[in-house]
Amino acid sequence: MAADQQLKESLKELHDLKAALDEHSIVAITDSQGKITYVNDKFCSISRYSRDELLGQDHRLINSGHHPKEFIRDLWSTIARGKVWHGEIKNKAKDGSFYWVDTTIVPFLDDQGKPRQYVAIRTDITGRKHFEEAQERLVAIINSSDDAIVGKTLDGIITDWNPGAEELFGYTAAEAVGKPMTLIFPPELINEEAGILAGIARGESVKHYETVRVRKDGRRVEVSVTVSPILNHAGKIVGASKVARDITDRKRAQAQILQLNADLEARVVRRTAELEAANKELEAFSYSVSHDLRAPLRAINGFAGIVLEEYGSQLPDEGRRYLERVRNGGQRMGELIDDLLAFARLSRQLLNRQPVNTGRLVQEVLEELNPPGNKRQVETRMGELPACQGDPALLKQVWTNLLSNAIKYTCGRTPAVVEIGCEQNNGQKIFFVRDNGVGFDMQYANKLFGVFQRLHRADQFEGTGVGLAIVQRIVHRHGGRVWATAEPERGATFFFTLEKEHHDEQ
Amino acid sequence: MMNNEIEILLVEDNPDDLEMTLRALRKAKLANNIQVARDGAEALDFIFAQGAHLGRKVENGPRVILLDLKLPKIDGLEVLRRVKGDPRTKIIPVVVLTSSQEQPDVAECYKLGVNSYIVKPVNFERFAAAVSELGMYWMLLNQPPKV
Repeated sequence: MAADQQLKESLKELHDLKAALDEHSIVAITDSQGKITYVNDKFCSISRYSRDELLGQDHRLINSGHHPKEFIRDLWSTIARGKVWHGEIKNKAKDGSFYWVDTTIVPFLDDQGKPRQYVAIRTDITGRKHFEEAQERLVAIINSSDDAIVGKTLDGIITDWNPGAEELFGYTAAEAVGKPMTLIFPPELINEEAGILAGIARGESVKHYETVRVRKDGRRVEVSVTVSPILNHAGKIVGASKVARDITDRKRAQAQILQLNADLEARVVRRTAELEAANKELEAFSYSVSHDLRAPLRAINGFAGIVLEEYGSQLPDEGRRYLERVRNGGQRMGELIDDLLAFARLSRQLLNRQPVNTGRLVQEVLEELNPPGNKRQVETRMGELPACQGDPALLKQVWTNLLSNAIKYTCGRTPAVVEIGCEQNNGQKIFFVRDNGVGFDMQYANKLFGVFQRLHRADQFEGTGVGLAIVQRIVHRHGGRVWATAEPERGATFFFTLEKEHHDEQ
Repeated sequence: MMNNEIEILLVEDNPDDLEMTLRALRKAKLANNIQVARDGAEALDFIFAQGAHLGRKVENGPRVILLDLKLPKIDGLEVLRRVKGDPRTKIIPVVVLTSSQEQPDVAECYKLGVNSYIVKPVNFERFAAAVSELGMYWMLLNQPPKV
């Protein structure tokens, strides 16, 4: 009875123990063949298999494939030899999710000393494993960073030193950890550290602070440093992390850019000064040409004129004719100089662009060139002339030169007809002056607008050959284009535009 | 008009231009009382009755100054500045005669109060005509204010 009672109590104790075990652990029993013969509720809930699905199966059902074959072989050989196995196993649940268990497998032997069954008691350590994995990843990230990442205490003692720091500062982790951070400070910046640490203690960060540190080999590196407080679980500042990036190359590139900019600036200033000097020289040259060359010309011309006037009657005809030629030569040279100067002035003159009433401007020019009552009358036909944008004085020069040419080269035509108009092409105004004069051969058209280029002999038509060059320069300065079409003895037409061509609509 | 009163002061250093200008003035019957100065210093001595012209009265004219700009010693611009800067002489008309408009100081001349500005033409007849017209204009049409 006492034995019975003892057994009863013993069983009760065993039952209590099992209940407590089931409450804490995942329990499974397998037979000597590895077939599952018992699972507790915790086993079912973590593996997400029902008891029926598990019983009779072996543990391959929950194999995650994570562990190498040797690991599994070692486990089995250990327990088959009757030894207890202890380790961490990653399993796969029915829904495909993974879980980690801290596992103890205890073999129970039969009378022959062969394993009879195995009791496996496991604890879910998935959470801890995930945390460890996350930490491993962080460590891997820190270790693979090119930036130097360093941890230190609030006293400035180095606690962590990644390979990036080894590379950047030349000290190994073993050499650096435990040393004060000032290990890598240049002597003149030692004081910086106290300020940084004080800031950290107050919870302040230092962001992208550019400074200099000294490597183990004594070389200085320029770094951009970010230092932030490290907080523990309770939110208390326990140290600082420091990320330092080597910016030596960037600094060098920056300095290079600054240098290049300064060089460029200096070159621009130099070139501008050279240009200004050249311009000044050109102006002095123009002045000299106009002033100094004209004075002797005036003398040649003037005194030849005075001789003709005062003593003309005493000279033989031939003498008078030669003197006339001296005078004409001088006069022509004066005209050439004037035209050349006018042409040169065009490049320097500022463009005073404003709306211009083309019709009125042309009317004005025609009245000057072909005044009513003039001996030689030219018939002018004026079409619609739209207003335009340009420098009124310069445009007047363009029209004057084109129209005086038209009048000049229609000399001898009856009637002499000059037609003035404007065509619209693609939204662009093309002004033209057409005459029925002597025209020219188109094969010489390329010479038309050159300075001192003439297509007619001086004894046929007078002129210096600068008029059309002036027209072209003015038109170009307005952003336009000038061209001509002609046929010998059948007149010429000169076209010009005053604005850049736009090929799209309007 | 008193005989010894100088009517035209011609300031010109170029002997060719000087002779042609004098001839043109003579032809226009304007050559009676011409004083010639060959540089800016001489011109100022005459205008302000100093140096060789000490004793002359500044108030006695000239009635018009024909002034070349490019002059030895003191240039025409400076002569113009002094004439127009002195209350005794600033009413004297000054006609600047110069070789060309290329000169950078055309604007400066106007700022200083030049009365006329003419470019000496290469063409002799035009030069002569311009000089005589100018002389006429300033001598005959432009009566100085009565003192």
